[in-house]
Amino acid sequence: MKPRFRNATIGLLATLASLPALCGPMGFKDSWMAMGDVSPNWQEVFFNYALTPRDAVGFSTLSMRSDDGTLTRRANEAVFTRLVSRWNMPDAQANVWFLAGVGTLTGNDFAKTKTLASPGIQVDYETTRFYVSGAARLYRADGINHDYAAARIGFSFYEVDYDQVQPWIILEVRRMQGLSDKTEVTPMLRLIHNRYFVELGVNTDRQVRANFMYTF
Amino acid sequence: MKNTITAILTLALAFTALPSFAANTMKITVNGMVCAFCAQGIEKRISKMGATKEVFVDLKKKTIAVEAKDGQTLDGKAITAEIVDAGYDVVKLEPVTQSVADIKAEMLKGRK
Repeated sequence: MKPRFRNATIGLLATLASLPALCGPMGFKDSWMAMGDVSPNWQEVFFNYALTPRDAVGFSTLSMRSDDGTLTRRANEAVFTRLVSRWNMPDAQANVWFLAGVGTLTGNDFAKTKTLASPGIQVDYETTRFYVSGAARLYRADGINHDYAAARIGFSFYEVDYDQVQPWIILEVRRMQGLSDKTEVTPMLRLIHNRYFVELGVNTDRQVRANFMYTF
Repeated sequence: MKNTITAILTLALAFTALPSFAANTMKITVNGMVCAFCAQGIEKRISKMGATKEVFVDLKKKTIAVEAKDGQTLDGKAITAEIVDAGYDVVKLEPVTQSVADIKAEMLKGRK
């Protein structure tokens, strides 16, 4: 399969396959949300504030590097998040999210700071025992294309009450253009409690990955 | 006369005791409530309302129980608005006589 066609296919599948969503990229109205995604090649911290039940504004800082460590990138962005559509069903929820970031990009292979734009979409669907999501995001600057796609699927062995910790098994597949030729596959253990959300995993290159979300 | 006084005292006691037995609680059925992390928004928003004594989220039954403070009345429309602002849809809102403590105890009994 040609790389361009393969990348487009992954992006398309990520978008289409991610019907439902567990926890979206923003909290409830008037809340702050902090999110983190940390691994050797990817370190991201993202804060936002929900102005309305559907709109949030925030800031993210993301450091990335190539698989061999020779190329590095740092993106600092103001990010707008919009809940485009939500379907609340008796035993499920589905969402479509739009994200748009604007900021700066620096790298070790170019001198000047570039202006970065990063529009994206996330689609998700979840029940109390099943979760699937997909995300596609463009990271574009002058002469730079780091388009990104990810898909996740997971399940929990049992339902829990609100005050109990629920463990999930999640499998994530993601890929970013320009920094890595690999598609990163990461099985993760997700733990959810009403106050915290954490994921811990090891990817197929044996790199540790940790994600968290906290609403306050 | 003695019997009359006893009857009046008994009646007065019965009326005084009534509010403590009939809890002012609302049970709300909510669509979309599948994740505890996300549902915390409902708990936080309703807890901040002035008339709220206690909130209880039942994730398995997809219901929320809200109990009013003594002498206060719950506003169904305001509670619905808070749940919508938290990102969910209200399907049914009904008054119940159980307190939140009773509902919790019932759930814990079922967990064993």
